[in-house]
Amino acid sequence: MSQRPSYAVGTGLFIVLGFAALGYLATQTTSVVNQSRGPSYIVEAHFANIGQLKERAPVKVAGVRIGQVQSIVLDPTRETADVKLAIDQRYDKIPDNSVATIFTSGLLGDQYIGVQYGNSKKTLADGGTIALTRPAQQLEEMLGKFFGAGGVADNLSGSYRVRARFTNIGALSVGAPVKMAGVAIGSVQSVQADPVKLDAEVTLSIDKRYSQIPDDSAAAVFTSGLIGTQYVAIQPGGSPDMLKDGDEMVLTQSALQIEDLIGKFLVSGSSADKKGAEPDNAGKH
Amino acid sequence: MSASMKAGSENIVLRSLEQIGNCGLFLLRMLAAVPQSMRFYRETVRQLWFVGAMSLIIIMVCGLFVGMVLGLQLYDVLSIFGGTSATGTVVAIAIYRELGPVVTALLFAGRAGTSVTAEIGLMRATDQIAAMEMMAVDPIAYVAVPRFLAGMIAMPLLSCVFCALGIFGGHLVGVTWLGIDNGTFWSNMTATVEVVKDVINGVVWKSLVFGIVVSLIAVFQGYTTPPTSEGVAYATTRTVVASSIAILALDFVLTAFLM
Amino acid sequence: MTDSVSAKPDDRALVRVRGLTTVLNGKKVFDALDMDIPRGKITAIMGPSGTGKTTLLKHITGQMRGQSGEVCVDGENVARLSREKLFELRERIGYLFQNSALLTDFDVFENVAFPLRQHTELPEVLIRNIVLTKLQAVGLRGATGLMPSELSGGMARRVALARAIVFDPMLILYDEPFVGLDPIALNQVLKLIRTLNQTLGITSVLVAHELEAIKQVADHIYLIANGKVVAQGDPKTIADDGSPWTRQFFGGEADGPVPFQYPAGDYAASLGFPGSGA
Repeated sequence: MSQRPSYAVGTGLFIVLGFAALGYLATQTTSVVNQSRGPSYIVEAHFANIGQLKERAPVKVAGVRIGQVQSIVLDPTRETADVKLAIDQRYDKIPDNSVATIFTSGLLGDQYIGVQYGNSKKTLADGGTIALTRPAQQLEEMLGKFFGAGGVADNLSGSYRVRARFTNIGALSVGAPVKMAGVAIGSVQSVQADPVKLDAEVTLSIDKRYSQIPDDSAAAVFTSGLIGTQYVAIQPGGSPDMLKDGDEMVLTQSALQIEDLIGKFLVSGSSADKKGAEPDNAGKH
Repeated sequence: MSASMKAGSENIVLRSLEQIGNCGLFLLRMLAAVPQSMRFYRETVRQLWFVGAMSLIIIMVCGLFVGMVLGLQLYDVLSIFGGTSATGTVVAIAIYRELGPVVTALLFAGRAGTSVTAEIGLMRATDQIAAMEMMAVDPIAYVAVPRFLAGMIAMPLLSCVFCALGIFGGHLVGVTWLGIDNGTFWSNMTATVEVVKDVINGVVWKSLVFGIVVSLIAVFQGYTTPPTSEGVAYATTRTVVASSIAILALDFVLTAFLM
Repeated sequence: MTDSVSAKPDDRALVRVRGLTTVLNGKKVFDALDMDIPRGKITAIMGPSGTGKTTLLKHITGQMRGQSGEVCVDGENVARLSREKLFELRERIGYLFQNSALLTDFDVFENVAFPLRQHTELPEVLIRNIVLTKLQAVGLRGATGLMPSELSGGMARRVALARAIVFDPMLILYDEPFVGLDPIALNQVLKLIRTLNQTLGITSVLVAHELEAIKQVADHIYLIANGKVVAQGDPKTIADDGSPWTRQFFGGEADGPVPFQYPAGDYAASLGFPGSGA
């Protein structure tokens, strides 16, 4: 049959193309190139808190991958996590007083272990331990003080309105919750730019049940979670007079640019390690 | 035909169960005939050409567009959170874990599955199957198994091609049009996507199962259809309907298993 | 293969049907049917539509089995054969399908070569020679490159015939070989059937309606109706045996033992005429 060779060739091409695509997916779009293949040696590190660190997370020095996390087990007697690091054999000159720190790559990225070299002449050997460690920065704890959680207040018993002026409301939108101590007590009814004072006038609709709010309370625009929606938080003041319908809150705090705030602590993976490699800067982490 | 359709409306559950049971028995018959059909490996190659290589164009075009749409949509959504640099990651994960195998399987059922059903149905209607029986050639081994094997082999390969084109489409929209940094696009993707979890489990295993199921349904429907033009038309429709339902239902089960 | 015809010279019947009873979908197709098909002869099976002539051929090839009775081909009970033995038997039987049943994927040459490729490991040269010989026999050696869709009905049937004889079978079953052929093609097929029988000694079984054509080739005619053989004999005398079946069938009468009317209720009553009595 004359067609047979062309079928075979075409089919062969198809199969080659399919496997080429698979190879492309597996090597060019995944972390396979990051995974160490060569011989490695194991060192241990004990962390008080590993945060979101996972097995196979990278271990980096100066931002360059030198190995990966092999296992994470809880030491049952000491309330610390024993992390075993598999480090490529090539990198066998790590001083034994180096510091292992758990970092986050970017704001939402995975966590990894950064190693800053110490000045000891002795190097880590297989089965050795990195004595100096710094636990994961609990971003949530750090930021949790600002951000509450909770739903929108049920509007059963009617509401009253107060106004508040902000120089910057960030991404606050109508309908956003108004919270006190993290609990929703009302919602944003309107957001208008004041053409004269050149700031934003926000009308808050607050449930009548919460009528005991001192009139010197402060209103601040916060963000729930790192990438969540913004809301208005009310921090009660100490005045004996209470807010009434139509009042204006004097003390306001505009939206924090979270990126600015956090940017000081967290920088993206590689640059963090470059700084981290210098012992002086390591303390900032 | 109309009689069986009437019976179907009378007791659709029982009939569906019967179909599934017959389908399973048919699979066993095919598996039993696999060693015998190794003699017809050339036929398998030929069918691989028809169901695989001939589906390539539609798979590639659709993969490209799915990737482009994903790039566009995700860029739009992620820009709300200032996370457009994650576009590549999310495009890759969405395509690998879900859209790649599922859309490929649906397209494959529409393109290759129906043609297999219609072809076998017509072979039956024109006595070609009976002629093979008479020429002492087992039609299960010669007609059914090569098409089944070809579908099983072709599906994962087509899925991979679909995914590659999808990534390319996402890159085209994200990087070339919307100006995401090329390095960011790739580095975020490679940092997050995992070989085993996303590529092997997400694309290869899933699409292998889909390939088996779609091919089985297509061959079974063609082989068991009443040998009339009405029967063939009806069987073709049933191939698409049954395959689509099976793909989406299995997708859920497989996702739960492979997570 | 011709030697298999003379393998059992004492057994004159190549196909022996005894007491065959088959019920299909609640309808009795064969009712204790007896039939002998002699070696080396052309036997025609005739009968009204729906009497199961094609079904009978399927019994001979083992595609269908009866509820009771037996069908023996060359001394072997078809219904008792294992699948492998059945396939071995089928390699010695040629079957010409009503609609030719050529494989649409392959051209004429490959269609005829198909059984050879599946069952033998012959070198390509030999396959080519055999196929061309068979195509020459049916007069289509020039058409090797055509696809089945490019063939006329008569040509397709001749290709199918070439395929059926590619293994030099001991028995060929022709299922309605003349349907839809113009007189020229019909005569070509007739000539082929006769030539194959005379030159190769192939036992032939013909299922057909064309009385004139059958009279030219058949050595023996069976007329079956209601699941039984109602008349048999050689073509010249069968029409004169006087039974109502032969009179209706060969005389071409519209009404007779085979009723013109499909069984129905009283005519006047179904038209709703009052007082029809019913």
